[in-house]
Amino acid sequence: MRTMYRKHFAYSFIAPSLILTLVLGVYPIGWAIRYMFYDYKGYGQERFIGLENFTQLAHDSQFWESVFNTFVYAGGKLLLTLPLALILAVILNTKLRGRQLLRGIFFMPTIISSAVIAVVFFTIFNSYNGILNQFLLKYGVISQKVDWLGPDHAMLTTIIVAAWGAVGNYMLLFLAGLQNIPVDMYESSSLDGANKRQQFWYITLPMLGPVLQMVIMLAIITSLKGYESIMVLTEGGPVGKTEVMYLYVYKLFFPVSTASTVLDQQFGYGSAVGFVTALIVGAVTLVYTLMSRKLNRMY
Amino acid sequence: MYAFIQRSALWIFLLVVAIVTVFPVAMALLGSFKTNAEIVGGASLLPQHWIGSNYADAWKQAHFSTFSWNSLFVSTATTIGTLIVTAAAAYAVDRFEFAGKKLYVGLQAATMFIAIGAVVLRPQFQLMVKLHLHTSLWGVILILISAHASIFFILLSFMNGIPKELDQAALMDGCNPFTTFWRIILPLLGPGLGVGALFTFRAAWNEYLLPFVFTMNSPKLQTLTVGLAGLRYGATAAAQTNLIMAGACLSILPLLLVYVLANRSFMQMTAGSLKG
Repeated sequence: MRTMYRKHFAYSFIAPSLILTLVLGVYPIGWAIRYMFYDYKGYGQERFIGLENFTQLAHDSQFWESVFNTFVYAGGKLLLTLPLALILAVILNTKLRGRQLLRGIFFMPTIISSAVIAVVFFTIFNSYNGILNQFLLKYGVISQKVDWLGPDHAMLTTIIVAAWGAVGNYMLLFLAGLQNIPVDMYESSSLDGANKRQQFWYITLPMLGPVLQMVIMLAIITSLKGYESIMVLTEGGPVGKTEVMYLYVYKLFFPVSTASTVLDQQFGYGSAVGFVTALIVGAVTLVYTLMSRKLNRMY
Repeated sequence: MYAFIQRSALWIFLLVVAIVTVFPVAMALLGSFKTNAEIVGGASLLPQHWIGSNYADAWKQAHFSTFSWNSLFVSTATTIGTLIVTAAAAYAVDRFEFAGKKLYVGLQAATMFIAIGAVVLRPQFQLMVKLHLHTSLWGVILILISAHASIFFILLSFMNGIPKELDQAALMDGCNPFTTFWRIILPLLGPGLGVGALFTFRAAWNEYLLPFVFTMNSPKLQTLTVGLAGLRYGATAAAQTNLIMAGACLSILPLLLVYVLANRSFMQMTAGSLKG
């Protein structure tokens, strides 16, 4: 009797969370899985078409370009942020003067919305009256305006903006990992005559292994997923140069007023693209997990 | 001598990174006090004349007073809702045995890892239209509350640290689980709730896509992030960099203030969530 009574309590405590999760978290996924097999524009008739969306997807060069772009974007972002974050963390883990302040400064970007970051950087990078161009012109570094958000540089600019917002976060995670390494390991190794560089390669990196693996995993997922700042900064343009997978999916679901690419709203096709995109992200994560496990065994 | 050079190189590196980090924010802050002509024309860092009219213009003409109110409303409601929902769920999971508990925890964990992204926005939107919640910000708030898995796990670990003897004692004294939760658990959960509030508030305040999608046809409901990004698309956007700067500062500064005040716990918790 008593446990019955307590059970009812438990269910009533869990109900709000469970209902919200089921209705707004699980149902939408079911919705998408159903519409993958439909032709449905969001209005009018919906029609079951089997796997046709997926055959269309296979020939959709715009999508595969966005896949390519996503990997360039994610790769660039990781190459820029992770080493920098690690270096900063290692430096700020030493007894350096003003390290608290520096930690605070480097962490600051992560509390700002990526949309707001994109807007601010837009005022810096836009070619017409952007601050960067004005500055470079004034000091004679360049003789004519550089189109930072144009086809040639847009991807690099997007990566820089993303990196600016992400370094602090990874730095902090690395710092947390570094603080778990016992100090006496360094002390005894320096008694044995190891220098700073040797300590980094033979103590810090191996000891940081698990944290490193987790942070890299986190970084891979978030950079493959992220499209908010790109949406604000370039809308995927110019001419699809910064179109990433999830932004492409987004455009299939919501009408976008953009000069770059105008797509038809297509819920069925969008669901199929979204599903494949999630699979791609999942596959990359899986490959990474397997690889890092192998590396683990090699050590 | 060698050590000196090494040390200088280290500091130069740190300073360069610090300047690059601070520069965009400082520029937005300084730019918000410049006239538009000065931003567009020159590259001097400090304003020639400090003017506050950008803020007045942004606040009134560009409707940032409405945006700020909407942001505050969404963030506060989301924070309160998330804390209630997650604290109750964490209490049930940590203190009671019931069928389906593992399933529930697994479900919460799964929601953090499935990255279906933009797809779910659409069904969520359709659902809110059906419930007639798309004409207010309540739809956005409910969806934001529903994404509570990470806060649930944070609170669960805090809950674990509260001795179980306490609620047994309360039960003896005639409390039922509801009053125990309200009188004993919630007050003791204070630090956890604080951290959860900080995280939820930041996420809701910074959210862009959801409010963007939900307020496409109702500008009056836009939040700061949406309104700000909208300025850049606006017909006159090219001429209004100064307003964009002022708007950006309005959206950054409140959070920056909270962050500076709670700096230590903010950083510690972000780092702590790694150890989990």
